[in-house]
Amino acid sequence: MSFSQQQQSDQGNALVYPRPAGLMDEVYAPDGSMRSHWEYLLDSLNVLGPDALNDRQRKAERILRDDGATYMLSSASLASHTWGLDPVPLLIGSEEWSQIETGLSERAELLDLLLKDIYGPRELLRCGILPAELIYSHSGFLRPCQDIKLQGDHQLILHSADMVRGADGNMVIIGDRTQTPSGAGYALENRTVMRRVFPSLFRDSHVHRLSLFFTTLRHTLTRLAPPGNLAGGELPSIVILTPGAYSETYFEHTYLANYLGYPLVQGGDLTVRNGYVWMKSLDGLIRVDIILRRVDDSFCDPVELKSDSRLGVPGLLEVVRSGRVVVANPMGSGVLENTALLKYMPQISQFFLGHELQLASVKTYWCGDSNDLAHVLANIDKLVIKRCARRAGEFSIFGCDLPAGERQQLIERIRLNPLHYTAQEYAAPSSAPSWHKGAMHSRPSVLRSFSVAGEGSYSVMPGGMTRVGIANDSRLISNQLGSLSKDTWVLASEPEKQLTLQAGPGGESLSQIHQYTTLPSRMVENLFWMGRYSERADAAIRVLRTVFVQLNSAVILPKGAERLLLRAVSEVTLTLPGFTKDNLELLRKPEPELLSVISDAQRTGSVKASLIAMLNCAEEVKELLSADIQRIINDIRDELNGLENAVARGMASAPEETLDPLISALLALSGLYQDSMFRGLGWRFLQIGRRLEKAQQVASLLRHLLVPVNVDPSEPLALESALLSTEALNTYRRRFRAETNIISGLGLLLIDRSNPRSLIYQLDKLFKDLSELPNRGKGPELPRNQRLVLEISAAVRLADMRTLAAVDEKLQSRVQLDKLLQQVQQRLNETAVAVSEDFFDHTGGPQQLVNTGWNGEL
Amino acid sequence: MIYRIRHLTEYEYQQPVSLCYNLAHLQPRNTSYQNCLSSKLQISPMPAYSRKRKDYFGNNIVHFSIEVPHRKLSVEITSDIRIDEGRASPELNLDLGSTCAQALEALKTNQSKSTLVAREFVLDSPMIKAMDALRDYAAPSFTPDRPLLSAARDLTHRIFTDFTYDPTFTTVATPLSDVLQHRRGVCQDFAHLAIGCLRALGYPARYVSGYLETLPPPGQVKMVGSDASHAWFSLYSPEEGWFEFDPTNDNMPAEQHITTAWGRDYSDVAPLRGVLFDGGKPQAPRVAVDVQRLEG
Repeated sequence: MSFSQQQQSDQGNALVYPRPAGLMDEVYAPDGSMRSHWEYLLDSLNVLGPDALNDRQRKAERILRDDGATYMLSSASLASHTWGLDPVPLLIGSEEWSQIETGLSERAELLDLLLKDIYGPRELLRCGILPAELIYSHSGFLRPCQDIKLQGDHQLILHSADMVRGADGNMVIIGDRTQTPSGAGYALENRTVMRRVFPSLFRDSHVHRLSLFFTTLRHTLTRLAPPGNLAGGELPSIVILTPGAYSETYFEHTYLANYLGYPLVQGGDLTVRNGYVWMKSLDGLIRVDIILRRVDDSFCDPVELKSDSRLGVPGLLEVVRSGRVVVANPMGSGVLENTALLKYMPQISQFFLGHELQLASVKTYWCGDSNDLAHVLANIDKLVIKRCARRAGEFSIFGCDLPAGERQQLIERIRLNPLHYTAQEYAAPSSAPSWHKGAMHSRPSVLRSFSVAGEGSYSVMPGGMTRVGIANDSRLISNQLGSLSKDTWVLASEPEKQLTLQAGPGGESLSQIHQYTTLPSRMVENLFWMGRYSERADAAIRVLRTVFVQLNSAVILPKGAERLLLRAVSEVTLTLPGFTKDNLELLRKPEPELLSVISDAQRTGSVKASLIAMLNCAEEVKELLSADIQRIINDIRDELNGLENAVARGMASAPEETLDPLISALLALSGLYQDSMFRGLGWRFLQIGRRLEKAQQVASLLRHLLVPVNVDPSEPLALESALLSTEALNTYRRRFRAETNIISGLGLLLIDRSNPRSLIYQLDKLFKDLSELPNRGKGPELPRNQRLVLEISAAVRLADMRTLAAVDEKLQSRVQLDKLLQQVQQRLNETAVAVSEDFFDHTGGPQQLVNTGWNGEL
Repeated sequence: MIYRIRHLTEYEYQQPVSLCYNLAHLQPRNTSYQNCLSSKLQISPMPAYSRKRKDYFGNNIVHFSIEVPHRKLSVEITSDIRIDEGRASPELNLDLGSTCAQALEALKTNQSKSTLVAREFVLDSPMIKAMDALRDYAAPSFTPDRPLLSAARDLTHRIFTDFTYDPTFTTVATPLSDVLQHRRGVCQDFAHLAIGCLRALGYPARYVSGYLETLPPPGQVKMVGSDASHAWFSLYSPEEGWFEFDPTNDNMPAEQHITTAWGRDYSDVAPLRGVLFDGGKPQAPRVAVDVQRLEG
């Protein structure tokens, strides 16, 4: 591929879009003239200038990051990848779009007929239109799905197609997505960001809006409700089923859940009882009528499909079959993703519609056909080889890229299993302008469309999601390979009427409110743990910071004091044995151990491990977190990535300072919990988690710093450290203006209600939050969790500080203080267990009745 | 001939199972030569949900779920079955009909519905993948000019002769390659083996599950596989239709073989499968099968 490279020596030229030679291009017509619908955009960008465009691009990146827009490249929780958005949209003229739209709508209709036929009478096989092996050998053909029917005209609710502009200038389809088409949410996010970043350009370009697609989706889902499920006037309950936070498109699931107002659930949040599907929520089981799924076909039900799947709902398919829940797209629709079907689309269209499709598919060969096989083997270096059934992590193979040896291996693989391979002629995508590293480049682009079944016909999202290759000669364009995406603007000839989601005739506001208050138990549990882990990390950082300050203070510490402080680190963070075993080597040179307590992610109790656990919980409840919380979460993630180096570097001087950004982030988070979260049950559990943990941490800190009494004069230092760790030292000094005194110190830390870090403060708040929970008890008594807290709260309040401070000389310890704090810790543990038993889900994982070794996969 | 078949499966769990969802392929299907006169399924504890339907292959299937905690699951089915006396007899002359070559050709050209349906059974299935080793083992029996049914009968005999019936060697999860390598297995393995051989050569073959009569008629040898559910295979020839062979007993199923269900392999027709929650370590079930002659 060659380009007529233009000199880009001065800034002004950076915005000039170089016209690629010999390639179909979006901007330039074959005669070299610019297509008229691009003029306004390119002129406007020129006026804007490269600096401003760079600036807008950075702004877009920031918004995407703050929205938590990610595309997971691996399952490591710190490796999420911010969604890449090219600030130059792809433009499509209104007239051309209306042709594409008609073609897409027709294609969806046809695939719908095909789906009905494959799981119904299979006329296409009987009439010889399709070879039987093409369907029977495809792993997406799920025999248990035979004869499953949804309400209404259409079986295929959502359809996506990938298309490129071919050499003749027309769009050509290169593949269909029919199981769980992804990307519509990203398209919406792209649009939202573009509108914010280029408000006037967007307004003046008269771009067709996306909202109608989503309104239609909501209507269609509502209409699918199983009629037997609903009493008169009752609104169906709709959920989105996600494989979970490790799914590569998880962001989109949370985004759509928020936008559409449906709870986001995982397989484990749902259960089949009594022939219906239910969501396990705090309010008990809530019937689910419609599931918009993002879990692949064969993973949906381990009873009848892939038996080792943990992502599905056991028994789901039978509920679908008996018509008591609707899953969209229906399970089994992956059979339409068979690339071999592209070869037969013209004949299928003739059979069902009596004419050819308006939008052609790329020329495809199926190796199950002996003529095709011969052609493919002879021309393999000119073709793109695909498996009929897409597999995770497997990409199309470009025959021309293969070294001879690998080509031979591929030929062998195809010969061995010809039914499973197809080959396509390479449809070189047209190129489009792309802003990258401060200059305009030419990049190949692929458009993914989105269609949804509406009343009567399919409704196509105007535009879709465009992806561009990472280089000008990229042949593979995939998010998994780091391709950027583009907003796609279908330009209207005149401004369009405003139509927002709320303005649509959905009328589901009631159920929306209902659904927002009924969270799956799993989310509530994650909020609880998110609260606990953030406070656990906070306490660990504070005690470490205190120890660093004391160890590096001007005064040389008595040996006993140093030992006491280091032991407290191990005890409070529960990174045992650590310093508790009186390992002299460790005590003499504590830095490596302290570093490990901060930044060893594998070590339970370390700052990093607690924060990663917190991030994982946050990911599970992503759709409940505000943009501001999301931003702090991002900061914490960034901070963690560089933590080990930062702390190691800082060990030599003022290591405590390297922890400050984390403390600030955690403080910001706790402020946002207060100010930017809806006070629902979810929030209540977050607070309960936080209070429980804070109370635990204060008790543990005091127990390990103040109970042991050393012979050397480390007494004031221990109290000072306790006060320092709980941010009470200054108050203490202001108030008592004296030498540290254990009795007044204990008063401040245990029973002073005006100290937001005192034990009693946590217990009061905890009791109040617990009393807001629904009562799960049978009788009029206080629930067990509240009784437990009440008991220790009374014990703390009734305690006499002088008695607590008294030292048992023989044991060299404050026995009464120890007893009280031990009781507090124990009861708090019991409280956590009681909350968990009452409110969280305790079903174990499913297992197979018979372990057969096969997992339902072909 | 009328048989009464009682088939009991019991699971005992270490800890209570809180929920279970199951599929049962237990009620014998009707075929051209057998009629299920009555069938009674008893499940304990009482299922919260149960429904009977026909599966993709036309077999009877029951879905049931139990939602009360239980330490023991018991599933018992009692069915009365009439078998037509005209079913294949050992004297059937298999040296007639389409040759192997003709059958292979007809599979490509024959447009009948039954051939179309049969083509599904040439393809790989979850537990049976075509392998060169299977093809090589089978090939000597299937010379082009030999009648296909005769060749299949020969394969059945060779498996019976070459392989040792050994219930200790395999489980439901033993791969076919192990069976072939060690030449040991049980009825399920031999059926899979034969099916794999036939498919490797391009012939449609399906797995048949069922029972064998317990008490042999006087003067005949007691057949292996009694007192348990049994399995064999069926081969399709476009001109002749489906024919069944039992490699475990080196015969063609006749009056004493009662069919429950058929599919591509065991995984399509497992008598009882499902998913359960809790219950501790998986336990092997206790299975009792009783085939009783009511009248003849």
